[in-house]
Order: sequence, then C-alpha cells, then structure tokens
Amino acid sequence: MVTDFEKLKQIKKEAAVTGLALLTLIIFWCVAGFGMAGVDVSVFYLPLWAVTGTVGVWLFAIIMVCVMVKFFFKDMDLTEVEDR
Amino acid sequence: MNFLQLIPLLLFMVVMVGISFYVRREAASESGFLSHYFVGNRALGGFVLAMTTVATYSSVSSFVGGPGMAWHIGFGWIYMAVVQVTAVFLVLGIYGKRVALLSRKLNAVTVVDIIRARYSSDALAAVSALVIVLFFAGTMTAQFVGGARLFAATMGYDYEMGLVVFGLIVVIYTAIGGFRAVAFTDTLCALVMMAGIVLLFYFVLQAGGGYANIMQNIADKHPEMLEPFSGGNMPLGLYFTQWLLVGICTIALPQSVVRGISYKDTKGLHQAMIIGTFVVGFMNIGINMIGILSRGVLTEPLSAYGTVDNIIPTSIATAIPESIVGFAIIGPLAASISTISGLLIVAASSVIKDVFIHYRRKNGKGELSPTRLRAISVVATATLGVVVFLVALNPPSVIWLINMFAFGGLETAFFWVLIFGLFTKWANKYGALFSAVGGTICYCFSQGFGIKLFGLHPIVIGISLSLLFFLAGSFLIKDKENKNLEVFFPGE
Repeated sequence: MVTDFEKLKQIKKEAAVTGLALLTLIIFWCVAGFGMAGVDVSVFYLPLWAVTGTVGVWLFAIIMVCVMVKFFFKDMDLTEVEDR
Repeated sequence: MNFLQLIPLLLFMVVMVGISFYVRREAASESGFLSHYFVGNRALGGFVLAMTTVATYSSVSSFVGGPGMAWHIGFGWIYMAVVQVTAVFLVLGIYGKRVALLSRKLNAVTVVDIIRARYSSDALAAVSALVIVLFFAGTMTAQFVGGARLFAATMGYDYEMGLVVFGLIVVIYTAIGGFRAVAFTDTLCALVMMAGIVLLFYFVLQAGGGYANIMQNIADKHPEMLEPFSGGNMPLGLYFTQWLLVGICTIALPQSVVRGISYKDTKGLHQAMIIGTFVVGFMNIGINMIGILSRGVLTEPLSAYGTVDNIIPTSIATAIPESIVGFAIIGPLAASISTISGLLIVAASSVIKDVFIHYRRKNGKGELSPTRLRAISVVATATLGVVVFLVALNPPSVIWLINMFAFGGLETAFFWVLIFGLFTKWANKYGALFSAVGGTICYCFSQGFGIKLFGLHPIVIGISLSLLFFLAGSFLIKDKENKNLEVFFPGE
C-alpha cells in the first residue's frame, strides 16, 4: 500500500466493514435479547435473555472487533509523504 | 465528616497534577507546540488511546444517573446500555485512519481544521467551533455539578468544597499539560473507574446479603425487572432511540473523532478498538449491575430516595464502610473529571486554533513564538475551565437545557457533515452548513418544546432533518470548484 489512492481504498473498505459489523451486532443484540426473552431457562438466577443480551452482546462485540481487525484491517504508514 | 476520608482523593488529584507537570516538562524540547498541546504530538499508543476515548465518553451520569435507572428499571436498562460497546470501535474503525492521514497532510490538530479544509468554508468552521464550545460548556458544567453533588452526598462535605477539591484541580492539570496530560490522566481515571466498579460491586453485594438473596428478592418483589420491557417502563421506542443516541451517532462526537488525530500508528489503533470495546462494555455492564444489586440495599420505593440520581450516592453511603468511602468515591469522580478534561482541551483548541490562530493568520499577522503560544493556550484553557467552574457554583437553568441538548446536538451537527464530507465527493459546503445549523436548531427546538415523532426522542427529528438539509444544500446549490478535494480524494 504505497499510494494515497490505495490507502483511501483500504480505508473505505475498513469503514464499510465497520458498518457491517455494526449491522451484525444489532442483529445479534436483537436475537440475544428480545429473541431469548421467551426462553424459560435460568442462568445465575437470571432469565437467559438477561445474560445473552448483556454479557453475551459484550463478548460478541469483543470477538467481532478482534476478527475485524485481524482479517480486514491493514497496517499502513501514516507518516509517509503523499505519493500521488 | 472526616478529614482522613479525603486523603485518598487528595492523593489521587496530586498524582493527576504530577502527571501533567511530567508530560509538560517532556514537551519543552519538542517542536510543533499546537500539535503537542492539542493532540499530544500524534504519539499515543493503543492502550492510552483506548482509555482516553472511553474515559472521555463515560461521564458522571454513566456512574450515577444510569445505574440509578437500572435500580428502577432492571435488566432492560443494562440491555439498553450495552449498545455503548459500539462507542469505541465504530468511531475508530470508520474515522481512525481517515482523520489520522488527513491531519498529517493538512497539519490539522482539530476536527474543525479538517471540516474547514474539506468544505473550504470559514462559516462552517465558525459554526462548528461555536457548537463545540457551547455544548461542551454545558456538558462540563453538568459534570462539575454531578461530581460535586456526589462528593457532598457521600462524604458529608459542602458542594462548594467538592467543586474546589476536584473541579479546580482538573482545570489546572488540563491547562498545564494539554492533551497529553488529558490522555494519561484519562488512562489513570479509566483504571480507577474499573477498580471502583469492582469495589462497589463487592460491597453492595455484601450489604445486600449476597447475589442469590438479592436476585431472589427481585424475582419475588419486582419480577418486571427481569423482563426486557420492564412492565412498560422500557418501551421499544426507547431502545430504538438509544441505539441512535448512544450507539450509532456517537461516531459524530468531536471529542471522540479528535482521538483519531492523536495516535501514533495503525497497530495502536487496532489495539485500541479491541481494548476500548472490552473496557466500555465492562464499565457499562458493571456499573449498571451495581444499580440493580442496590435493590438489596435500598429496599424502599423510589419516592423514599427522591430521584434516581440519589440511588447510587445513597447506596455508596449505606453499603460502604466509612473507612473506605474515600477510595470508593474516586471511581465515580474519575468519570466526571476525565470527561471535563477531555472536553475542556477540545473546547480550548476550538477557541485557540479554530478561531484565534486562524483569523490571526488570515489577517496576515506573523507566527507566534512557541513560548507566547504556550502562554496564550494555557491561559485560554484555564479561563474556559474557570468560567465553567464559576457557572457550576450556581448553575442557571439555561445550563441544564444546554446540557440536555448537548449530546444529541453535537451528533446532529456533525454526523452527516463528517460521514458525507470524509467519504463522498459530492458533499458541499452548503449542504454541510444547512445540515449543521438547520439540523441543530430543529433538534434543540424539538427537544426544548417536547416535539416528538411517533413518540421517539428528538434525535430522530434532528438526524432526519439534518440529512434532508444536507442533501438539499448539496444537490440544489452548486459549489464553486473546491481545490482541497484532491487532498481528500486522491486519484478519484
């Protein structure tokens, strides 16, 4: 990744991936919370949704960000003088 | 009232001032004062970047008002609060590299610098600076007041005494050390907040007779606290608007975006996204869980405690042994001071860089010497802080309005301006100006007069109208050729 054009292309790709990650998280949040509200299972004295919709969403977000950063984000030199 | 209780807090504040002196001394030999003072010379590592972003974002209301609501609502409140896990990875993932590269190319140190260059508009930059200073001032005042009230309620000292103990000191260390001091003290604050959550969690659990006992009580007496809609207390619309207000739209908060200018390399940015997501989730779930567990300590109906804002202070005073209240109070106060310092330095950068320096240069006046610039910046930051401090001593009612408008107002003003400006070529200054001015006015108007669309929070009106204004301005009025577009979109 040498030129500014290539960097911009990668940055746009990463922004789009971040947007998709947001969408995925929203879906997970809906399923893990509202979706689990009817399930009659207790975990740690709590209904299942209260665990999956809170701690579950948090852990999912961490894993998702790790995957995003490892597989879709690339290192780039920020100090390099532009090469247009 | 016991002076010994004050010692941990005083020591903590001394350390904060010490940090600011340390980074100040380190700065003396470095060039580029503005870059150093306002963005820490773009040298932050991943851990500090994560901590300063989270600490600035997490305010005293995250520690007091929020968990008070959790006590009232139950797990629905945590389910809603957990959407804030987006607060770090979204803004850094979308803008982190974009603003880092642009700020180096443009020699920008503020978000307004980037907006000015993108749209070639001094008017838009002036509006942006005004919005930032006004809303930040309101938010800072609320942080001062919230922190000082908490201090007074738990320690038994006067409100004014609390303001002086932590309020004046935060102004001093921010003015002395600039952004670098803010970033490092924020890191300490975030660690202390996390430790404070663990401490509070432990003692509230103990005082309530243990986890199983508290949960059994909730299931028996308040079963609605275990439902996502909390027996009607948490309507679906509230979930929806919270996703906008404290989730998606937080990418537009200038105090978060500016952190994209401040880090050293992309490796650090990637680390910060992971660490920040961990920390913001830990804090939001942890502190709101404490609110729920406080049901074991505060068993009366809400009317017995006044408002939900009194729940956490009362819980601290009831559950925590007097000998360690002085430690326990540091966590919530750290939330308050780290937000104040983060906002104060950005507000000061708007006054100095976006207004004072810009118009000085525009009028053909020469460069200021670093020594003179340092003096002016320190004095401006301190003055701004002291003005807010004085307002907090006796806050007028308009301040509460400004604070109430602040979060959504900043999001309405900057959401489309930043996202379209940094990622599309068609966005022009008319669209941006209409969006920032029109959207924010409409938002404040609907917030002030309680106008709601389908019963939803006014952010829905603000962000929708702001979008319409942006599109109308950009497509109906043609802008003259913008020479900066090549810098923003090379090769496109």
